Amino acid sequence: MSYTENGEFSFSHENIQQDFSLLTSALDASISGIIITDNQLPDNPIIYCNRAFELMTGYIRKEIIGHNCRFLQREDRNQQVREKLREDISAGKHSIVEIRNYKKDGTLFWNELYVSPIKNKDGVTTHFIGVQNDVTRRKKAEQELERERELIEKKVIERTERLKASQDYMDSIVQTVRESLIVLDRDYRVLSVNEHFLRTFKVNKAETEGKLLYELGNGQWNIEALKELLEKVLPTNNPVLDFEVEHDFPHIGNKLMLLNAHRIELEGEYKDRILLAIEDITDRRAIERRKDDFLSIASHELKTPLTTIKGYIQMMNRFMPDTATDKFKEIVAKTGQFVERLSNLISELLDVSRIQTGNMELHRKMFDFDEMINETVDGIQSASKTHQIIIKGTKLGNYYGDESHLIQVINNLLSNAIKYAPNTETVELHKSLVSDFLKVSVIDKGMGISHDEQKKIFERFYRVSEIQTKYPGMGIGLYVCDQIIKNHGGTLWVDSEKGKGSNFSFTLPLKERAEND
Amino acid sequence: MTKKKVLICDDDKGILEMLELALEDENINIITEPNSLNLYKLIEEEKPDLLLLDLWMPVLSGDQILKNLRGHTNTRHLPVIVISASTDGEQIAKESGATDYVAKPFDVDVLYSKINRLMSA
Repeated sequence: MSYTENGEFSFSHENIQQDFSLLTSALDASISGIIITDNQLPDNPIIYCNRAFELMTGYIRKEIIGHNCRFLQREDRNQQVREKLREDISAGKHSIVEIRNYKKDGTLFWNELYVSPIKNKDGVTTHFIGVQNDVTRRKKAEQELERERELIEKKVIERTERLKASQDYMDSIVQTVRESLIVLDRDYRVLSVNEHFLRTFKVNKAETEGKLLYELGNGQWNIEALKELLEKVLPTNNPVLDFEVEHDFPHIGNKLMLLNAHRIELEGEYKDRILLAIEDITDRRAIERRKDDFLSIASHELKTPLTTIKGYIQMMNRFMPDTATDKFKEIVAKTGQFVERLSNLISELLDVSRIQTGNMELHRKMFDFDEMINETVDGIQSASKTHQIIIKGTKLGNYYGDESHLIQVINNLLSNAIKYAPNTETVELHKSLVSDFLKVSVIDKGMGISHDEQKKIFERFYRVSEIQTKYPGMGIGLYVCDQIIKNHGGTLWVDSEKGKGSNFSFTLPLKERAEND
Repeated sequence: MTKKKVLICDDDKGILEMLELALEDENINIITEPNSLNLYKLIEEEKPDLLLLDLWMPVLSGDQILKNLRGHTNTRHLPVIVISASTDGEQIAKESGATDYVAKPFDVDVLYSKINRLMSA
């Protein structure tokens, strides 16, 4: 078998029959559908189809031969590729198109159609060879791919928008907060700052972002305490909260700042960035100080006339005529009681205001704890005729703390014990050493405190409900005690059962004593 | 037994009057002075056995006076009890060299016994 020219076979003369059958077999073995149409007959009918064409279309040979191949398109006649096909064919060129065809049972398949014209010596197209491949699966995959791509594209756009919105949202939060925020990279270079920072420190973005923190504004941020925080504290102690820094800035003056620093530990782009939040507490602290000053002055001024009144009441008792009636004596006694109450209220008010602003300073010094207890108990004992205070337990020795504050605690616990155990005769004060703590318990056999109320009695202004009407006071005594013990590094708590009495105990760490001895 | 002299300096006249009444007895002679500026002169003239001294007074405060007294030979050992309504009164009193301290409002009997103890010592 040999080729001569385009599309023409040259048969060996001896075995035409055999060669033809071989060729037909070859065509039938092809997995591509192959047809030949006769262009010289009207409507270019199919004159040959191979086996693969039958399998591909579902039609059998007798349903194919004689038809124009457009029957495969059924009603789907408006496919644009037909234009291209027609143009190529009329120009006598071969053509490749992908066209939608329909099998005999109506199912769609994508036909990759290759049409090649066969011309005679005179250049007239006599036949067409059509080679078809069912590319439905590829086409489907392509379409799916396309759909997938569109979907992803849409998602990406959506996500980007969402991200942008969320970024804008975060940004607006960051810009709105009335606290200065700085983001630093690991080398303490400023990546960004918020509006409040710019306003507070009277700088602009350009002279801030991208600069080293310590070099900002001619080194006005080169603050030893801040360096310490960022370079020493933060690496081992992340995050750092409420780090107080005071600094005199050249233009804006002295600022008291509360710093919160947080190093990003997440792996990735943001790792090791440092978020620094700066709260300017200069004004707040000044106001607190003014308030404390005011309260100090007010309490001083209130106590002054009170001193006189108290003295005169004592004089009244001293000069009480023998002829005075019991009623008159009681009136004087009551006056004394209420002056005492007024005096306590004034002291308490000042205490609680100081604690609230965290300005209750401890004046620590070494003192004899047992002697302090003895003296305090003596003081209370001399004023209480109803109860006997019994001191038990071990010697506690010297303690390094604020004696006057601790006297206040013991006083408060003892007078509470007496006040709330009206029908008993003794109150016990028990001293012990437990591990590296000293422990003091004040035990009464009085009315006790219900479980619910035990938690609340250390709150400010809380008073056990049924007590409120019977016993006067502002209800801040235990709150103050609790704060004093906490300031010393100890704890104050109560064990109590309703109707059986209460046991108020506190511990104080002795470590302080060892360190300061 | 000669009468002991107690000088009281407080800018609040109510307290001075009350203390005069409360502390006076056959053994004690009370002198009161509301103006702290007159105090040095008064101490020189009267040579009191004890001084009761307020802290917060206009112009010249108690702790300033006290520090000054402690700096002079004649008054270095004069017993001084500081009386104050200030919350940090005790601290200030001790730092300024007070012999004793009594917080206002005080118990007159406590003050009286402290005065007597210091003067008999």
